[in-house]
Order: sequence, then structure tokens, then C-alpha cells
Amino acid sequence: MAAGAGRCCRAGLSHGALLSWALPFPVALSQAVLSRTAGGALGTPRWGRAASSSAAAVSGREGPQPREGSVRRRGRTPQFVRSAAPPRTERMAVDQDWSSVYPTAAAFRPASVPLPIRMGYPVKRGVPPPKEGNLELIKIPNFLHLTPPAIKKHCAALKDFCTEWPSALDSDEKCEQHFPIEIETVDYVSSGISIWNPKARVVTLRVKLSNLNLDDHAKKKLIKLVGERYCRETDVLTITTDRCPLRRQNYDYGMHLLTVLYHESWKTEKWESEKSEEDMEEYIWENSHSQKNALDTLLQIKTSENVSNVTKEELLASEVVKNYRNSVIALKNNSETESNMSQYKESVKKLLNIQA
Amino acid sequence: MAAAARALRVLPRVPSATRQLHTTPACLKTRAARVRVGKGDKLVTYEQAHPPHHIGHRKGWLSLHTGNLCGEAGAAQRAVEDAFLRRFLYGTFPGLLADEVVLKRRGNLLVICALLGRALPPHKLYFLLGYTETLLSHFYKCPVRLELQTVPARVPYKCL
Repeated sequence: MAAGAGRCCRAGLSHGALLSWALPFPVALSQAVLSRTAGGALGTPRWGRAASSSAAAVSGREGPQPREGSVRRRGRTPQFVRSAAPPRTERMAVDQDWSSVYPTAAAFRPASVPLPIRMGYPVKRGVPPPKEGNLELIKIPNFLHLTPPAIKKHCAALKDFCTEWPSALDSDEKCEQHFPIEIETVDYVSSGISIWNPKARVVTLRVKLSNLNLDDHAKKKLIKLVGERYCRETDVLTITTDRCPLRRQNYDYGMHLLTVLYHESWKTEKWESEKSEEDMEEYIWENSHSQKNALDTLLQIKTSENVSNVTKEELLASEVVKNYRNSVIALKNNSETESNMSQYKESVKKLLNIQA
Repeated sequence: MAAAARALRVLPRVPSATRQLHTTPACLKTRAARVRVGKGDKLVTYEQAHPPHHIGHRKGWLSLHTGNLCGEAGAAQRAVEDAFLRRFLYGTFPGLLADEVVLKRRGNLLVICALLGRALPPHKLYFLLGYTETLLSHFYKCPVRLELQTVPARVPYKCL
């Protein structure tokens, strides 16, 4: 009977392997071949009892029938009776080492997990199906290999490969002071045969302009050169490069861009002297219409009062003019707010010596 | 006569007076993966008893990989690999598969979880296990792990 089983297995294997690809799924021919040799037993797996079966059937021991594969013919349908050993759960101690049962990520094995788990939608007036032969429990990813004691063992094993964080870098400011440029790269992990992801070549460079050695003109020129890449609130310049196919090339290109920007912003071209009032980044009161108007008005007031000649420098140095200058600069550079407007009002009143 | 033939050749082709009907293959969405109710003698597993609209609600997914996530590539390749693997396993373990094969991909590793009946002796099962793993890992150029479980018989969920 063992030889018979062997023969039909070989026949089934060759037929199944050759023909299952050519014929539409599922293959009926191999089933016919198998049923011819050994009866219906090998054609489809037998049906067991319903889900609410007792533990005896579940453990695989089929009652008083013999253990090893024996053929019992009941009428025309022989049955292969092959029982398995009782599940390992019956011999598990309560304080066993669980990390040796599930050392790595593995599928759920009902005979290895000593928990009475049920999963699935119950039939009417029934309970969810038990764990034996439960495909739903096999489908889901489980974390039986990541219990806290197992994670402790992982950490202990990894500790040998770790180095200490340098004790001198104990605050964010120190990190920024010693390493002003931040490089950001993203690595992508996916499941499949290919590990390449085109999104992994993007490199982002971040640096605070206060860490760069720039004077006023260089800073203004750099901000004009980079445009949108500079954030005024945080004083951070962000350069994102992805035009090269490799990450190393993109990093090199980003550093090259930063170097070129720095050196170019220090140079002064001939045409920069043609910078007009529209190109200015912020409002400058000196040599503006506002200054001219204020000084003219004050001079007229002084001459009408017949005061002795006061010079422009004296006027500029006076308190009221300074107040007026500050309030106008605040209005123009920042947005108009209640406090700005009231400050301007006060300064104008003081300038023209108007008592409310 | 020859002149007439030459004239016919020179004339532009007249369109024929037939009409074509474009058809697509029939896609019977209301009959896919559904076991129809019978006389009450048909035993079905949990997987067969639930039609596809229960996936995500009462059923899980038989194949887990990152290809179907937003912004990820490779969904089609994984689907083709899955189809081939299911046919391959159906043929390698003839008559032994108690339920559908579950495929899990962890990075490069392909884990195949199969639920088998107990018709084969263990040494033959181990041979088929090694054969499958070796052949598939050479074919797909990635490590393949086959996790087999045996059940005494198919687990019925319902009678339809």
C-alpha cells in the first residue's frame, strides 16, 4: 500500500506539474488520474467535522484506528488514515522561553500557540471558527516573535554594534553650531524583487544664513538669488536637488550650489550700482520722499517762526524726527496694525507740534 | 481589358458596406468567487463561503505586499507572480491543498503559507517542500520560504 501510494503520488506530481499551467485552473485531468489509481481519497482532501468539533478530532487522533498510514477499505472508498502527533501545546510549560518557539517572524501555527483563539465571522447561532485550519489567522501578520523579552534580547545583541552619542553634543544649539548644514535623504523599503526606488535620489540641504559668513550686501544678494528657497521667519535656506540619477551626485550638486551662491553673493557686479528703489528689500528712510517732505515742512515752520538757521543735521538728530522716522519705517516694513498707526499719529502730532 | 484592370488598380479603395460589432469579454461580476447555494450537501470553507465584497470586512487578504499602497510601484508584477505561484502550488501538491495559499512578502523574502491534508507521508512532503523552495527561489531570484501546516481534513464552515 505504501508502494501504491508512492506510484500514484509520482503520477499525480508529473501530471499536475506539466498540465496545470496549460489547462485552465483548476485542473480536472490530474484529479481523474489520481482517482483512477487510489480512489477518491487523494482527489480532494476529505471533509472533517464542523467547526465546533471536540479536541480529540482536532488533535488528529482518529480514535481506535491504527497510527501509521493504513488502508481500510469500506466498500469502494479506501481511506488513508494518517494521524499526527499531538500538538506541541500540550507539552508546553507555563514559564517556557517563548522566543525559542517564535524566534523570527513566522505564520501562525495553531499547534505551537497555546492560546484558545477564535477568528472569523460566526455562522448563525454559532461561534467564530477555532484556530485549527483557520486561514484568517494565517493571513494576518502576527507579532508573536516580538514579545518584550524577545525585544530585550535583540537590544542586548545589538548593543555591541552601537557607539555612544558624543557627550559634547548635548543640546540642539551645539549640534547646530558644529554642524550647521542639515542633509535630508529618504530611503524607501518595499516588498518585491527590486530594491530600487527612483524617489530615493532626492537630497534636501538646509542651512541657517546666520551660520554663514555674510555681510549685509552679500545676504541681500543671496536672498535675491535663491528666491523662494529662503524662509524669512526661520532664516533657513532649503535646497532640494533631484536632477541627477544618484543620491551621491545630488548631494555633491547641492553642496556645489551652496558654494557657488556663497561666493557669488560676496562679489559685487558693475550693474548692481543701478539698484533702484523698487529693488530694495525693505524700506529705507534715508534719502526718501518721506524724509525730504518732513525736513522741508520743518524748515518752513522754522523760517515762519523766524528762528535762526537750523541745519538739516540738527533737524535729523532731533527727537521728533527720529520718532517720525521709526514710525514710518515700522508702517512700511511691517503691515499696518493698530499700534503702528497710533504710533505714527503720535509722532506726526509731536513733529508738527499739534496738541490734541 | 488591360486598361480596365489598370484603371481599377488606380481607383481609390471603396469602403466595404459591412459593420463591425466591438465586444469585450463578459465580466460576470455577480458570479465571481461565489459558491452558489445548493441542496445542503455542499461543504464550503470559510474562504469559499464569503463572496469578494466581504474582503476587508469578514475576510483578510490572501496576498500581502506593498505594491498596492499609494505611491508604490510593482503591483502588476506582484499580481502576475501571485497567479503563477498559486498554479505552481496547486500542481506541486496535487489534491493536498486544503485551502487557498497565503502569500506574504517581507522585503525580498517570499513566504508561502499552505494548508495541506495528510495524504502524503512526511518524507515526501519534505521533498516537495525543498523542491518548491529551490525551484521558486532560482526562478524568482529571491529567497522563498514555504511554511506548511497539515490538517486532518478540510475544515468546513457551512453547508450550502
